[in-house]
Amino acid sequence: MNRSLDYLFGTAVGDRGEDAQGVISLVRQWAEKEVIGNRLDYQRNYAVLFEEKARVLALSMGLQRLALPEDQGGFGWHDPGHVADVAAVLSEVGRADSSTGVLLTMNYALFSILTRFSEGREGLVEAMTASYLDDGLKITSCVLPGPGSAGRETPLYKGRSIPALVESRDSGSTLSGANIRPFAAGLRADLFLAVCADEKGRPCIALVPGDKPGIQRGREVLTTGLNALANADISFVETEITRESLIQEPEAVPMLFTLLNLFLGGVSLGAGMNFFEILGDWSHSRVIRGSTPLKENPLCASVLADVAEDIACSRLLLEDLARLVSPSPRAWSLDTEGLYTYAVMIGARIQKGIMRAINRGMELMGSAGYAKEWHAEKHWRDVKTIQSLLCGVGAAAPVKMDTARFFYDCKEI
Amino acid sequence: MDHFDEFSRPLEYLSPLDKHLRTVLRTYIEQEIMPLRRRYDEDWKEHTLIEPAFDKIMGELGLQKALFPQEYGGWGLAGSDYIFRFAYQLCEELGRADTGMAVALAVTFWPLLVIHLEPYVNERLIAEFAPMFCSTNKAVFAANAMTEPQGGSDIENMGLLKGRTIRTTARQEGDQWVINGHKLWPTNSGGTARLFGVPCTTRPGSADIDDFAFIYVPADAKGVTQGGPYEKAGMAADKNGDIWFDDVRVPAWYRAHGPGRDAGAFYQLISFGQVASTAFLTGAMMNMYERLYEFVSTRTYRNRPLKENEAVAGIIGRIAGDIDICRILGHEAAMMGDRRNKPYGLPLVSEELVGKIRNIKDFVSDRAVENLGKAMDVLGCYGPDRDWDIEKHWRDIKIIQLWMGGKQLCQMESARYFFNCETL
Ligand SMILES: Cc1cc2nc3c(=O)[nH]c(=O)nc-3n(C[C@H](O)[C@H](O)[C@H](O)COP(=O)(O)OP(=O)(O)OC[C@H]3O[C@@H](n4cnc5c(N)ncnc54)[C@H](O)[C@@H]3O)c2cc1C
Ligand SMILES: Cc1cc2nc3c(=O)[nH]c(=O)nc-3n(C[C@H](O)[C@H](O)[C@H](O)COP(=O)(O)OP(=O)(O)OC[C@H]3O[C@@H](n4cnc5c(N)ncnc54)[C@H](O)[C@@H]3O)c2cc1C
Repeated sequence: MNRSLDYLFGTAVGDRGEDAQGVISLVRQWAEKEVIGNRLDYQRNYAVLFEEKARVLALSMGLQRLALPEDQGGFGWHDPGHVADVAAVLSEVGRADSSTGVLLTMNYALFSILTRFSEGREGLVEAMTASYLDDGLKITSCVLPGPGSAGRETPLYKGRSIPALVESRDSGSTLSGANIRPFAAGLRADLFLAVCADEKGRPCIALVPGDKPGIQRGREVLTTGLNALANADISFVETEITRESLIQEPEAVPMLFTLLNLFLGGVSLGAGMNFFEILGDWSHSRVIRGSTPLKENPLCASVLADVAEDIACSRLLLEDLARLVSPSPRAWSLDTEGLYTYAVMIGARIQKGIMRAINRGMELMGSAGYAKEWHAEKHWRDVKTIQSLLCGVGAAAPVKMDTARFFYDCKEI
Repeated sequence: MDHFDEFSRPLEYLSPLDKHLRTVLRTYIEQEIMPLRRRYDEDWKEHTLIEPAFDKIMGELGLQKALFPQEYGGWGLAGSDYIFRFAYQLCEELGRADTGMAVALAVTFWPLLVIHLEPYVNERLIAEFAPMFCSTNKAVFAANAMTEPQGGSDIENMGLLKGRTIRTTARQEGDQWVINGHKLWPTNSGGTARLFGVPCTTRPGSADIDDFAFIYVPADAKGVTQGGPYEKAGMAADKNGDIWFDDVRVPAWYRAHGPGRDAGAFYQLISFGQVASTAFLTGAMMNMYERLYEFVSTRTYRNRPLKENEAVAGIIGRIAGDIDICRILGHEAAMMGDRRNKPYGLPLVSEELVGKIRNIKDFVSDRAVENLGKAMDVLGCYGPDRDWDIEKHWRDIKIIQLWMGGKQLCQMESARYFFNCETL
């Protein structure tokens, strides 16, 4: 393709600082050199190369430090002013590999939340930052509210069951919950960022180091995509948590959802963009009906147009969502609830748009779209996985309920 | 509804074998395939688990013999007036467990149908190949090697291109055909098949159907080289790879029927493939329904079973409704095939039958792709989990929408018939 993705899909370049441009272009170089340029190798030795390339990105290039506080050696991109930049970085990562994008998303969400609610938790912030500054690749695993089990009542977060419960003890609290399915990466998580309910049933967030006694991990779950982030069911058996690692502020859980929708929108968009490139090359070089380039066939061109439209619209939506989340005197101001609603609504729309783009684009690729060698199918599996995980049980029905509640003031759904 | 069998199908269409086959096959499938299928993906290359399951259903149960006449040890079904409906039922049952296995079995029938289906019967070749399939308890596979590196759709687009783009050549030398070319992707390639049906051209670049040849090539013939299987998003039970024919010599009578008739016999295959594809899809969707039923009954939103929530019920109701409609359509497609010899039926090579059956397959594929995707979303964080089986069907069936010339070719053949398009 002779025109760049930036030209074709546009970015809010004007709003972006020089630092951000620098990071984005570095990450792009990483994506192209380390992964996209060596796709076949990367696919064949995925488990090993994922780890190796993620280390280069997170540790050698410092992306693991991106959202850590500046005064402790991080880049300080944990504040709402940087969310658009973070989402843009994650798009670049997602273009190469969604698992790496999800891994970083979890880390960024963690530090955005931790620093936002740092008051009274200075010690915890410092200790966590120090551990994420360390040499190792850190894996954070989110536990979100989701489906409950029939016959077992749980506290709810906007209709979704909260699987883990906190009980106060003299010195702190304990966390309990059995067979909980984390979002991803539960098997080897260094830290769980778990949505749980306090004794009054109110949603809060517990930060639980993965090596705490009382954490049991089930066997590895085989999944459609995000295969590098081995997952497993987790049971917390009266796992002790300190007082400061329980975040009970009411805005915490909506903020977590808001950030996940934005950041994972970035990851999936990146995957969609790389799929667009693959499809672009294919439609340029593949010939049908004996002599017609695929893209010059009007029916195929109309499918190509649908693909481009879905990706372009998703990109615009992502930028708009980022603008809503960052504080700006020009933005119309939404409260936590409003922001949450926009985030889940747009987040679901982005995932749906990218998924539709890939699904339709594959129609033009025949068997090539289905062969691991061509990588299109990996983006398809990864984005589908993110979509199912993010939009929640009931095929985005909970998101629809959130939306209806906000816009129509529903009380009982 | 008490059971997935209650999804609608016109009962008057069922083949006389329906009840018996369903009982026997389902037992086999539930004992031999269902318990292991979650491990098939990792078995894509070696087929250590998959091969014994094939031996059971194809060899021991004998399904691979089904087409051959009884005098050769077969079941004589190619000569019956319910071969399409029998195939539909078989493919649906197997597709419920594993569409990859279903396609491997159905494609074994595919090239063999070219010599079995009236009005294109070749007794000598039937007698030649019957022992390969009928005198063993081990699974034996055949492949239909159409697709070539430059494109598969054009070769299947017989109505328009009439074999013009085929590059695999057949040259007659004395009483032999000499075949040269490169095929890729056929089901049961990658080292599996013992027999290939090979569409080739006797005059490259010709759009005269007399130059289209369908020639059988035993996989162990000198000059045949096969690559290993490709790694795919799904359908691990079907191996697909490259086949090179390098001055491969076979007896002249291995050509199916001769000039003109080969093209007709081959064209009959297209609709059979589309009917089988539709059956794989309804089978997979019925299993999706079973798994989804369990999930929405036992998992909750607002502490009530998901299925008791109107918003979720709206989604799953639509999914089940689509399965019901698709199954009726699938049986109708199969019946169109079986009506071919009746006074009120259409020949398999008619534009009307090809267009209508392609249209049904296209419609059902779209419904399946969408509904399996939606079902995964209903399961939320469990959607991508192999243990719930839905994600496997989602991965497996996407290719059904793309193979046999691709979705767009289905749309074109359907438009060609319904709107009398002349150049598409
Ligand atoms: C699991 C599996 C099993 C398979 N089994 C077999 C088998 O048994 N035998 C076999 O020979 N092959 C088999 N194939 C190959 C498959 O049938 C081909 O991939 C398919 O026919 C499409 O061909 P292609 O990939 O070469 O795409 P192309 O022919 O290059 O087509 C690419 C795309 O172009 C578009 N297109 C094509 N023609 C037109 C048109 N006229 N108008 C508008 N758009 C058009 C379509 O969107 C199509 O998807 C199998 C593949 C897989 C993955
Ligand atoms: C051209 C025309 C011809 C008609 N002909 C006839 C006729 O011959 N005879 C006759 O009696 N009527 C007739 N009607 C009326 C028509 O059948 C009713 O409008 C229709 O049944 C809906 O009833 P309603 O308008 O009172 O809406 P309501 O009953 O108030 O329902 C409003 C909406 O609520 C929702 N809803 C309702 N129940 C549920 C539920 N259980 N779960 C979730 N959502 C729900 C649905 O979205 C529904 O559309 C006709 C209407 C028109 C416009």
